[in-house]
Amino acid sequence: MNRIFKSATLGGATILAFSLTACASATTPDASGTGQAGGKCVTGPVKVGIIPKLGTDPYMVTVKKAAEAAAAKDGSTVIYTSPSDATGAAQIPFVNQLISQNVNAIMISGSDLNSTSAALAKAKAAGIKVVSWDSDIAPESRGFFLNQADTSKIGDQMLMSMAKMMNNEGEFAILSSTQTAVNQNAWIASIKAKLAKDPAYAKMKLVTVAYGEEKADVNAQKAKELVQAYPKLKGIIVPAGIGLPAAAEALTQSGDLGRVKISGLAPVTLISQYIKTGNVQAVWWNVGNLGTLAFNTAKMYAQCKIEPKEGTSYTVDGLGKFTVGADGVVLLGEPTIVTPENLTSFPF
Amino acid sequence: MKAKLIAQLKSWEFILLILVVVTLVLAAAVVPGFTQPFSISTALATFAPAALMALPMALLVIVRDIDISVASIAGLSSVAGGLAIQAGQSLPVVIIVALLAGVLCGAINGFFVALLGLPALLVTLGTLALFRGLCYVLLGGTPISPVPDFFAALGNNNIPGLIVPWAIVPFLVLSVVFAVVLHRGTVGRRIYAIGGNPDTAHYSGIHVTRIRFVLFTISGVVAALAGLINIGITSQIAPDGALGVELDVITVAFLGGVSVLGGKGRITGVFLASVLIMTLRKSLQLENVSGYTQGIAVGGVLILSLLVTNLFQQLIGSVRNRRKSALGSGPSPA
Repeated sequence: MNRIFKSATLGGATILAFSLTACASATTPDASGTGQAGGKCVTGPVKVGIIPKLGTDPYMVTVKKAAEAAAAKDGSTVIYTSPSDATGAAQIPFVNQLISQNVNAIMISGSDLNSTSAALAKAKAAGIKVVSWDSDIAPESRGFFLNQADTSKIGDQMLMSMAKMMNNEGEFAILSSTQTAVNQNAWIASIKAKLAKDPAYAKMKLVTVAYGEEKADVNAQKAKELVQAYPKLKGIIVPAGIGLPAAAEALTQSGDLGRVKISGLAPVTLISQYIKTGNVQAVWWNVGNLGTLAFNTAKMYAQCKIEPKEGTSYTVDGLGKFTVGADGVVLLGEPTIVTPENLTSFPF
Repeated sequence: MKAKLIAQLKSWEFILLILVVVTLVLAAAVVPGFTQPFSISTALATFAPAALMALPMALLVIVRDIDISVASIAGLSSVAGGLAIQAGQSLPVVIIVALLAGVLCGAINGFFVALLGLPALLVTLGTLALFRGLCYVLLGGTPISPVPDFFAALGNNNIPGLIVPWAIVPFLVLSVVFAVVLHRGTVGRRIYAIGGNPDTAHYSGIHVTRIRFVLFTISGVVAALAGLINIGITSQIAPDGALGVELDVITVAFLGGVSVLGGKGRITGVFLASVLIMTLRKSLQLENVSGYTQGIAVGGVLILSLLVTNLFQQLIGSVRNRRKSALGSGPSPA
């Protein structure tokens, strides 16, 4: 028996074994063959697969818990998957997995715009409804996109939070990230515009804008300098996740926190200890609510109760009414000002 | 004939075959959805780039080299193809540019390893980072999309009427080609001779340097082919294309029975190991096992396969030696 023959036999045997297992599948539905776009509508409980960017990311896990809680209400199932690389390519096998598992809907936070599009096209062909959340994918690959926060509102919210803490009166400063940061500059511009126009803020004065360069130690130093340079300073707005905790810690150490209030933008868990003192507030959004909204949207989409058409509106238990915008985008709502009173509802 | 049969029963390929059959039957019985045609065709397509690159990897390891830059070559050649797309070139030109980029990358590895005599592991570790870095430098952070329909079909469609995707076809064809070259031709015998003892091979008149250089360029061009398939699977040309695939490639080569010490290994083994790792990955996937745990599983299999094949070869060797000394026979036929 020569070796090529042997190799061919071995190879042939494997392929045969593989096709035999394939033949055993006559009873299972062929996902790639059934239905066309929007083919089936589910009545009752649904099976929803969640694909996060990374399985262990606490932000994503918060969404998972909220979706599971929402699913438990009517006996729906959630399959939470865990890619280990934050690349779109790493999400493809998970899309294929969920197609094989015959889910009714897929909730995905895209690691990039296009990688999953071919796999999601197969999902669509199998009658699976796709919604994206947190981070959007190519609009033709999904129905809805559940957007967590309207970034344009964040500046106004930070100013409103600051105004409340300093009773709409006195001097305040801004400690931003870098001079070129696009989001921060947009927020600062809108804060300045509001100050100039809105009579509620007439007695408030923005004395300076400093920059913490996205470094904790620089932020701490700048915060202390601001307090010393402006003795009448009543508040600092820190619109950056690294700067806010650093500034709060620095002013706690120097004993100025309290006389000087801090507001800004940061994940709540990083600053919850300072929020409890009543001297710090943050503008953030309820990540759990994003999970609830995304799950309920996916469920109603799979049940054919809603379509991603502009102007469509629907109600989600506990969250209220939502209206679909252009391109199937649904906004979770305005970011919330986190105070000691509502602190517990922000696990992230 | 009987002796040959016994020898075959003791071969690593035979043990692998049993493992493959057992794993397939187990997966079919235990893993829900594994036998769906959709699961099988996506398993084949997703694993195709890794399986493909394992073929030249086996040859390199047989001559005591290794190329851990293959996934970066796959990425860089698809980026080269992408630049051709952006320049408005036709599909054949795009494919040729990508394949040439692969050849060039392979030749760079070959130059440093075969001609200058630097260690393959370190050179290709360097080019792993270098080629990947070039992907980002040439393309920037924004992927190219959409890509020509040809790639979408190559990466995602099945051969009409079959559950076999187009993506696995290059692997099936090249398996046969590599098997014939390695096990039937003079080139194959020379490759084994280099792996067995490079100095002896050199003094026997074998062009050791030339063969090693050519093997690196082949590894490069096959990696480029894998990169083209990966474009189809991901529907885009991204700087992180095929990132991290070398783990599966190298695992398949070693699990296939290719020896770290060189000189040993067969394409049949590589083929069977591909099926095994593919089944493992898809089963874990369908059991909703996280990407992290899949990494642990494949890494574990790599270590285990090194351990087992090593022990296995020692065992076979000691049995043979004992028999030889007992019979006092001459050298056994290869």
